Amino acid sequence: MADLKLTDVKKSFGNVAVLHGIDLDIKHGEFVVLVGASGCGKSTLLRLIAGLDEITSGSMEIGGEEVNGIAPAKRGIAMVFQSYALYPHMSVFKNMAFGLKVTGSDKASIQKKVEQAAKTLGIDHLLKRLPRELSGGQRQRVAIGRAIVRDPKVFLFDEPLSNLDAALRVQTRVEIGKLHKELGATIVYVTHDQVEAMTLGDKIVVMNAGRIEQCGTPLQLYQHPQTLFVAGFIGSPKMNFIEGIVKHISEDCLVLTLSDGTITKAYVDSSGCNLDDVVTFGIRPEHLTEDSSADVSLLATVTLVEQLGEASYLYLTLADGTEMVMRTSGESTTIIGEQVEVGFNPESGHVFDADGGALTRLRAGNTKSVAELAQIKAQLSN
Amino acid sequence: MTKTSAGKPFPWHILFFLGPGLLIYFSVSVYPLLDTLRLSFFHESSDGSLAFAGLANFTKLLFDVVWSEPFWNATWNNLVFFFIHMLVQNPIGLLLAVLLSSPKLRLSGTYRTLIFMPTMLSVVIIGFVWQLLLSPLWGITENFMWNLGLEDYFDAWLGKESSALVTLAFISVWQFVGIPMMLIYAALLSIPDELSDASVVDGANPWQAFFYIKLPLILPTIGMVSILTFVANFNAFELVYTIKGALAGPNYSTDIMGTLFYRTFFGFQLQEGSLTMGAAVATLMFLVILLGVALYLFFFQRRIKRFQL
Repeated sequence: MADLKLTDVKKSFGNVAVLHGIDLDIKHGEFVVLVGASGCGKSTLLRLIAGLDEITSGSMEIGGEEVNGIAPAKRGIAMVFQSYALYPHMSVFKNMAFGLKVTGSDKASIQKKVEQAAKTLGIDHLLKRLPRELSGGQRQRVAIGRAIVRDPKVFLFDEPLSNLDAALRVQTRVEIGKLHKELGATIVYVTHDQVEAMTLGDKIVVMNAGRIEQCGTPLQLYQHPQTLFVAGFIGSPKMNFIEGIVKHISEDCLVLTLSDGTITKAYVDSSGCNLDDVVTFGIRPEHLTEDSSADVSLLATVTLVEQLGEASYLYLTLADGTEMVMRTSGESTTIIGEQVEVGFNPESGHVFDADGGALTRLRAGNTKSVAELAQIKAQLSN
Repeated sequence: MTKTSAGKPFPWHILFFLGPGLLIYFSVSVYPLLDTLRLSFFHESSDGSLAFAGLANFTKLLFDVVWSEPFWNATWNNLVFFFIHMLVQNPIGLLLAVLLSSPKLRLSGTYRTLIFMPTMLSVVIIGFVWQLLLSPLWGITENFMWNLGLEDYFDAWLGKESSALVTLAFISVWQFVGIPMMLIYAALLSIPDELSDASVVDGANPWQAFFYIKLPLILPTIGMVSILTFVANFNAFELVYTIKGALAGPNYSTDIMGTLFYRTFFGFQLQEGSLTMGAAVATLMFLVILLGVALYLFFFQRRIKRFQL
């Protein structure tokens, strides 16, 4: 078993503290994605797991063994670097064989392992080429192949898709997902691209300023962000935030007056709320409609329209100057400068207290993954 | 004139930009070289007039004992001088570069400057200083070695036939070791950190990482350093001239191509200077260097590929 367990891991470079106590529990076979803005410490955390940097304090276990101070190669990890870091003077075969060669495997087993890995990745016809003779996507595969041959307990990926073009990125993303299922390996994957995070991760870890902000399944993060930061980070375009004041409290909902004067309900756990508390109301761009007959509507001026084809993004300003984005149908004919009535269903709203913590949503949508849903459906049909 | 070329004005700007550079290059480099080659085929009579002599100068230089003995002596000495640089200067330069590029080394900037400092000094100063340091009469070396308990090993190195050339070579190595160090250091810095990280993750120890990853990637630079060493060594002159004078003593044991050329061309003491024989020596120096560079390019550089890092 290759569980990965971090307990209160801290890292500082000189006097600069970069990670302030990371606790993370990764189960065998899990695909964990670390996301966060640049400089939040996610790559540092990955390098710590790899053993390329030493942790300042705390403990780290891989497969139940403490690995603090153990050399990277002996930790049973393999890493795929952002720039692929292929050895430019070695053929693909030698690149993949290097790790086995320096640790003293015999030739026959190296040959076998490399060929097998190459076949898995569909690069067996490229084994004699040099890295510079390969395309970006092929180099990417070689880098992954180099990791696979070492048969690691944990794979570490450091933004592996950021050097690929958009189309190839989607394709490789799908392949990495498949590979994970085939190998059944534990994977820790760093990215700043939230689409990659949402699609690949069994579990997403959102990091901010050297701390773990929230850790959960993709849909949990989307439906139940625990902090303002996570709410703003997950989802694109990001969630709209409007200031509001609590005007009425009932058992399953709050009534808020938003900063532009609109009154709305919010179905959240209201315990701990007081009247006249200042809160932040959050609503995602995709939950706003141009339908004026919706439960709540806001009056806004359109300042910019982005037509993407399948959808259009309207950039709006409310009466009090709050800026918002909404996602509407690609057929929308709204133009800049128009006054529009923007509606939403209060059930899709989020509320955050003055400290940025979320109040639990009571009527959130599905948070179960496809696998979980399949299980439930199978049980139902039995 | 065709229609198309008639339509375009003469590109004066090209002449304007290339002119000054070409003028300098031709007047101080190409013309002297060609004229030297030309002179080597002439004979100068006592009244100063030149007469075409074919290959006579070269035959004399290579086969007439009076000329060929000093010539082969200088060539051999020059080769020794070169091999000492290749075997001592460049490996030490490589070692220093590797040490300097280590992220764990403190004060690496200071070391770099100090080691490079002698390179920036005049060879004349270096030669003079070392001559004083090593002097058996007033030099501090003997005392210094005595303090270390090594006084039995002190010798008048610069004054003995057996050791003078090697000593000169070591002085030159000491002065110029900064150049290979700097070039290799720059090459090492250009290797991305991720490559080293990847080799660490792959389980390579520092030696393996160096020999399998870094060394092949800096091989082109090492090749370039070698050829620069070769050219510089076969053109060397000042150090020998400063320390041992034009006679390159004792008994010509430190005579290299540069000093041989100097005596032949300008004359020294009893030897009369000869314009044409000097040109012949210079031509042979040119050919030796040309041959060396050509062999290097053909057998070595062609096989090294530069890798996009």
